Amino acid sequence: MDTTKRSAKSVIAALAKDWMSVVGIILLLIVFTILSQVKFGEQYFLTWSNFKNILLQTSAIAIVAIGQSILLLGGNFDLSLGRMLCLTSCVGATLMKAENPMPLGIIIILMFVIGLCVGSINGIMVAVIGVPAMIATLGTQYICYGLAKLITQAVPIPKMPSQIAWLGRGYIFGQIPVCAVIMVVLYAIAQFITTKTKVGRNIYAVGGSKEAAFFSGINVKKYHFGTFILGSILSTFGGLVLMSRLNSVAVTNGQNYEFDGVISSIIGGVSLAGGKGRVIGTMFGALFLNILFNGFSQMGIDPFVQDVLKGIVLVLAVTLDVIGNVKKS
Amino acid sequence: MADYILELKNISKVFPGVKALDDVSVSIERGTIHGLVGENGAGKSTLIKILAGIYQPSEGRIFMNGKEEHFATPIEARHTGIAVVHQEIKLAEPLTVAENMFLGNVLTDASGLVDWKGMRRRAQEIVNDLGMDIDVNAQVSSLTVAKKQIVEIMHAINANSQVLVMDEPSAVLTDRELEVMFRIVRQLREKGITIIYISHRLDEVFDLCNNVTVLRDGQMIDTLPIEAVNREKLINLMVGREMGQEYPKEKVEIGDTILKVEGLCGGMLKDISFEVKHGEIFGISGLVGAGRTELARAILGIDRIEKGTIEVRGRKVRYHNFRQAIKDGLGLIPEDRKLQGLVQIMTVEKNTTLVALDKVIRSGVINKKLEAEAAQDYVNKLHTMTPSIDTQVQFLSGGNQQKVVISKWLFQNSEILFLDEPTRGIDVGAKAEIYRLMTDMVKTGKTVVMISSEMPELLGMCDRIMVMHEGHKMGELSRDEATQEKIMAMCV
Repeated sequence: MDTTKRSAKSVIAALAKDWMSVVGIILLLIVFTILSQVKFGEQYFLTWSNFKNILLQTSAIAIVAIGQSILLLGGNFDLSLGRMLCLTSCVGATLMKAENPMPLGIIIILMFVIGLCVGSINGIMVAVIGVPAMIATLGTQYICYGLAKLITQAVPIPKMPSQIAWLGRGYIFGQIPVCAVIMVVLYAIAQFITTKTKVGRNIYAVGGSKEAAFFSGINVKKYHFGTFILGSILSTFGGLVLMSRLNSVAVTNGQNYEFDGVISSIIGGVSLAGGKGRVIGTMFGALFLNILFNGFSQMGIDPFVQDVLKGIVLVLAVTLDVIGNVKKS
Repeated sequence: MADYILELKNISKVFPGVKALDDVSVSIERGTIHGLVGENGAGKSTLIKILAGIYQPSEGRIFMNGKEEHFATPIEARHTGIAVVHQEIKLAEPLTVAENMFLGNVLTDASGLVDWKGMRRRAQEIVNDLGMDIDVNAQVSSLTVAKKQIVEIMHAINANSQVLVMDEPSAVLTDRELEVMFRIVRQLREKGITIIYISHRLDEVFDLCNNVTVLRDGQMIDTLPIEAVNREKLINLMVGREMGQEYPKEKVEIGDTILKVEGLCGGMLKDISFEVKHGEIFGISGLVGAGRTELARAILGIDRIEKGTIEVRGRKVRYHNFRQAIKDGLGLIPEDRKLQGLVQIMTVEKNTTLVALDKVIRSGVINKKLEAEAAQDYVNKLHTMTPSIDTQVQFLSGGNQQKVVISKWLFQNSEILFLDEPTRGIDVGAKAEIYRLMTDMVKTGKTVVMISSEMPELLGMCDRIMVMHEGHKMGELSRDEATQEKIMAMCV
């Protein structure tokens, strides 16, 4: 009897932890809806148009965060994701705005090639040679950012080709943002692969214990390398979505996306220690962050204060994670 | 009446949901070495932690020299004269021996600055006193494990230490290193320090102790003078049932050569040749660092081979990585169960299928039902004690964790299994179950290569034993001719 009670309790605790971000989102919705009503006497927060806004703002970040959370599951992380996005976007935009531009398709392929190059460099350094991910990807972060500034001379490039407008500004049935649909589909695929396939299981194993995975015949280097490659692909794609939504490219595109990806992952229940958590949680983590800041903006809170709050949310999420782990052991 | 330095009276310790100690009374005679034995979970560690001031007893009283004491903190216990050497060595590796000996207890001179000279001198005195050959200015990281252990002991004891508690100090030591430590322990006893000695290795208890207390399931079963028990009786007291045979060796038909190694060189390995026959349990003995694990790694494609040939089932092979060896029917149960054997944060189920995941994959997707069936099947077959297959392996005991590692390779259906120290840190009852599994493996057509530092289990389980020393093969003994002395003579 004792054990059934305990397991029921632990099931509830596990559910609460698994869905912490969703519970958080619901709480935020309730709080901001009430605040909006109280402050303005009218509902500005809980409206479809505001929610569309939130979805638009979340999509690109959330797409990059898929890569980051899979990297985290595999026991790594990539600090260059944001600036890699910036570099590929800047190269892409520059080529698109050239006097006799190449076909758009070729340019987009080139963007992915550059992203893959950066991803491979990260992968070779970390997975093959064994440079700490922290240092390796911090290095490539600077290289990407520097190159992006060199190429654009830090001048923003406006007006992206109309052929890619649908990606970031298109709507399905005139109501649902295309990029939000893409985000949900990508998360569904990522969630399926990480939980239902051999590749996913092995990523968890490698992240849970590199050594034990190796001694189970898993090619640890291949999996580590693969996650860096995946991160670079998703980051480049996130860049395309972002340049389409903003209809411009600047060297600030993708700034801090790598960290936002980490924060979203942690809020979504992915462990920094690797091998634990669910990719789908990261989407809710990213939504949570954006709903929070959307609400704050509506309440008229200074945007500079928002960075402080982001820090507090991150520290709180990690602290809760650590406390949870300590209790268990 | 005997002279007791330490008396524990009716000690109970209750944790939420568990009674770790139940009305335990033990009296320790002054100037003796007192063994404390029991299976994992018997309450030894809890008792030690109460003595060390880490836990407070829920009930019961502690008397030292006839006076009642309460150890609210480890520091109080230490000041009262109880020194504890914990299981794992916890030294500051980059610091010197002298610095480590005074860690947390630094000597200062008149001006309040660290008295380096005084500390080094005092450290050297203590070392000389014990007749040890340790340079107090050497970095701890440069010492052997045995010497580190001794530094740890010297750190634990101080001027007013009366009782020294040693929690499995031998777990990481080889037989020869053990001798040195035994000498130190006996010397400490001569100096009037009473020692409480906890160990899984019963031979040591018989070698060293004057009295022995057996704990089982949180209860004190018996305290006896060592002359009053033999090995078998002690095991029965610990396990609480007739153990039957400790080494369930059965006759299995020995077949043709399945693994043949010739002139193998690479890394520290020098010209190693041997053959293993189908159905054998082939033992590899030697001191730690003799190259036993390295040999397994070289054969399995983990480390590079410079020269030599390997034949599996009569076919020449050279594996370039471990995965190729696995595909060819070889497997390894690694030395470090915690780190290398299992993904601790994964469940029993997922660890079981980690090597042979393909077997539960249907059209590219992991089939939950097949996976659960497979895992449950091995839990049942191997009698793995786990609340469910969804329990993370980190919550299982050492013996049960090892069973999950074995499940992994049984599910893969590997034909030739290398077992590297398969019973290290596992208690007596669970050890016997691991031996039983090894017997089952060879009975079902598998071949086992067993690397071990524990000679009794090699002698008890193996058909043949190869002895290694510093990368060389020193010889090979059949089951009939092998004795502890013969192996030891080849080891050094």
